[in-house]
Amino acid sequence: MGATVARHLAAENHNITVVDISEGTLARISNQLDVMCIKGSCVSRTVLEDAGAADADFVIAATSSDEINLLCGHTAKRLGVPNTVARVRNKDYLDDLDNLRRDLGISKLINPESAAAMDISRMIRLPNAADVDTFAKGKAEIISFHVQPGDHVADQPLSHLTTKIKNLPILFCAVERGNEVMIPNGSFVPAVGDKIYVAGTPSGVSQFFKVLGRHSHRVRSAFIIGGGRVTYYLLQQLEKLGIQCKVVEKNEARCRELAEWFPNTLILHGDGTDPELLTEECMPASDVFIALTDRDEDNLIISLYAHQCGVSKIIAKSNRQNYSLIARSAGVESVVSPKLTTAYQILRMVRGIQNSKGSRMTALHHIANGRAEAMEFVVSSATRNLGTPLKDLKLKEGVLIAGIVRDGRVIIPEGSSCLQVDDIVIVIAKDSGILDLNDIYADAFGLRGVL
Amino acid sequence: MNYKTVFRVAGFTLLVEAAAMLLPMAVALYYGEDPSPFWKTIGIMVVVGLASVFGLRGEHKFFAREGFFSVGLIWVLSGVFGALPFWFSGQFGSYVDCFFETTSGFTTTGSTILTVIEGLPLGLLFWRSFTHWLGGMGVLILTTALLPFLGINSTHLIRAESPGPVKSKLVPRASQSSKILYAIYLALTAIQVLCLRIAGMPLYDSLIHAFGTAGTGGFSNQNLSVGAYGNPAFEIIITIFMLLFSINFALYFLILTGKVKQALKSDELRFFLGVTTLAIVIISVNIASHFSSYADAIRAAAFQVASVISTTGFSTVDFNRWPELSRMLLVILMFIGACAGSTGGGMKCSRILVILRTIAAQVRSIIHPRAVSVVKLDGAPLSDSTVRTIYAYSATYIIITFASALVVGSDNFSFGTTLTAVITCIGNVGPGLEAVGPMGNFAAFSPLSKIVLSFCMIIGRLEIFPILVLFSRSAWKRS
Repeated sequence: MGATVARHLAAENHNITVVDISEGTLARISNQLDVMCIKGSCVSRTVLEDAGAADADFVIAATSSDEINLLCGHTAKRLGVPNTVARVRNKDYLDDLDNLRRDLGISKLINPESAAAMDISRMIRLPNAADVDTFAKGKAEIISFHVQPGDHVADQPLSHLTTKIKNLPILFCAVERGNEVMIPNGSFVPAVGDKIYVAGTPSGVSQFFKVLGRHSHRVRSAFIIGGGRVTYYLLQQLEKLGIQCKVVEKNEARCRELAEWFPNTLILHGDGTDPELLTEECMPASDVFIALTDRDEDNLIISLYAHQCGVSKIIAKSNRQNYSLIARSAGVESVVSPKLTTAYQILRMVRGIQNSKGSRMTALHHIANGRAEAMEFVVSSATRNLGTPLKDLKLKEGVLIAGIVRDGRVIIPEGSSCLQVDDIVIVIAKDSGILDLNDIYADAFGLRGVL
Repeated sequence: MNYKTVFRVAGFTLLVEAAAMLLPMAVALYYGEDPSPFWKTIGIMVVVGLASVFGLRGEHKFFAREGFFSVGLIWVLSGVFGALPFWFSGQFGSYVDCFFETTSGFTTTGSTILTVIEGLPLGLLFWRSFTHWLGGMGVLILTTALLPFLGINSTHLIRAESPGPVKSKLVPRASQSSKILYAIYLALTAIQVLCLRIAGMPLYDSLIHAFGTAGTGGFSNQNLSVGAYGNPAFEIIITIFMLLFSINFALYFLILTGKVKQALKSDELRFFLGVTTLAIVIISVNIASHFSSYADAIRAAAFQVASVISTTGFSTVDFNRWPELSRMLLVILMFIGACAGSTGGGMKCSRILVILRTIAAQVRSIIHPRAVSVVKLDGAPLSDSTVRTIYAYSATYIIITFASALVVGSDNFSFGTTLTAVITCIGNVGPGLEAVGPMGNFAAFSPLSKIVLSFCMIIGRLEIFPILVLFSRSAWKRS
């Protein structure tokens, strides 16, 4: 995971030092990325000092051991690092996580598996959407769906849509076609196969799906392959939603653990790639199929099999981005990546701290396979062009204001809307590099500090 | 087998019992009765006890085998020696009758061979009920609480004597655990005596009925049991305390240490209360026509259900005359019994619960052959060996029930009498149906049947295995 975070951070011109005990890993990273590599254990104060941790803005501990990460975060704090992040995945720490964080003086603990499980449960709550991202504490969301033959929105300009759709509190904010991402305007014609991102209130979005003719039947059953950590966190969520789950896991000891923790879930011991087992346990009849084994390849193959069997909603875990492209082209709409989710989470923190003086970025979601970003800012008095109607503003190419949340109400931006202090603004941008709300205006240059 | 230590422990226990017998002797003296049956017995027990304590000093090798063996042996000896006061008094028939009555007392069964109870010496009746109180929590647990210097690992003894499939200590030290259990036991008994006194029962009768309730035994000093008083207040108090004494005492310890929530979450407690409530409702409806008001019917049903499921065996009415549905239900409750870790008998609610859950898991594994199911009790998974022990126990329980019924059948009583006599004895309940119903007694059985039934009681009280160990040839081998 460290390498993924390093790659994203390095892409934003940060100075990165990677500490690892394995020479091979370091060699690989230094070949791929422009970062400094130091060999040693990150719990050692000397190693951290040698790596220049004392002067760093951020220390991120993401080894495979929770205890080492916690200790490393603690040591870094004592060295005077203002922001420390540690990855903690073991569920045994879960109950006491806040105290642990406070007592060790670590700024943030991250749990990639739990975050991925949250993503999956959101997708399950809105089975029609491929992905769901929430903003302003759930008041607004951006969802995506694939245009299918016969959809009302297909093959006509957006401006020709029926007033029924036009009056809904939603906004078409991005379109993914092949490898391209577009910000649509009124003349845009959606085609079958496009993946369209729609921003709006949760109720507006579900109404939109209704108008679209996709009946949102409640998910009642889920079939999960793999019983790892993501499954653990996911089952916690799904049991609360009252969804009947079946889990197939290879390791018998792990099966017993899961059966002990989740008495209402059917835990099956067997190979999840065995079609006979899947048929015997009525996999094709389940509402959702989720592939969460350790191997990305297995996840994709069995997801394709489930797709073939006619399961309508399929979610696969894949940490490798190129696999998720293949999966999508083969019909597996939703792919989650704990690694990427966490990398984005860290990125969001880094950016949030970077511009804490201007308008605060409170959320960052990568959409369209990372080729566009959806960000959430809080408008401050330092934001320029307050009170100017949007139609008079000149925004950068590929930037869109997708929503404004004012006093807890969602406003779908129109030409006459304007920004006010304390508004929460949701911005879609095709390229990364927007760090401050002021960066969206066309009269500003791409990078801050150039002005 | 380390005989020396086993008999030494037995000697200590006899001394404790001899000390306990001073109390009924004092009662006999207070009422101006002949104390000789008691001092004669005390004399014999002290001589035998001291002889084995001082005569048998051996190595302190004491393992589970010795623990089980001593518990089995001591419970048989308790019946043998405890019967002597009855025998010396000459008020009872044969020595077998005395042995039956004493064993019925110590095992908290409450089955009697007496046809007329009122009019017997009060000292003897006090001893008869006091055996309930001693046997309820366990003679050996008392011994280990009083004599922690036995010099052996007393965990083995406590494990063999206390009922229930899963045994856990309350506190790290075994003798300390025993003391806590006895303190709770004593306190609850005292509260009950107080309640009965306030409700207007004479002190002697209050003690007798409190002993009967606390040990979930069921000996009364009245021919008609609790029904003789015709006092609803007594019945309600005794109903409540019968239920209280059939709950796992570890839960009281949890409540005392402030973990009330954890105590209320107990699966077994919920199951026990659920079964009790359901049985009361069904029987109330079923017997309503026998009573003038619904309140009376509910009170009678509640008392009888509490009496049978707690395996006490008091009665207020002759439930033998109730409709067949109610009678059958009561017989089933005799099988189920109280909670593990209480003074009650029967198969124990936790075992029944585990069996029901494994049945569900079994059905599930047929529908889903690859399903992994874990049988849990109170949120913790049960090991396969625990489940296996529960199954072995239940199967043995039923085999012994039918085997004993075969022997008792030689007396040529009706099917109902024969079978319920065995069920009530092995479940430590007291009354059965028909000839051994609440208004009947066990006097008419042959001596052979009485001995078999006595062993059923001990087998039921000690949960089978300590007695089976006594019958195992390899256990007798000298080590």
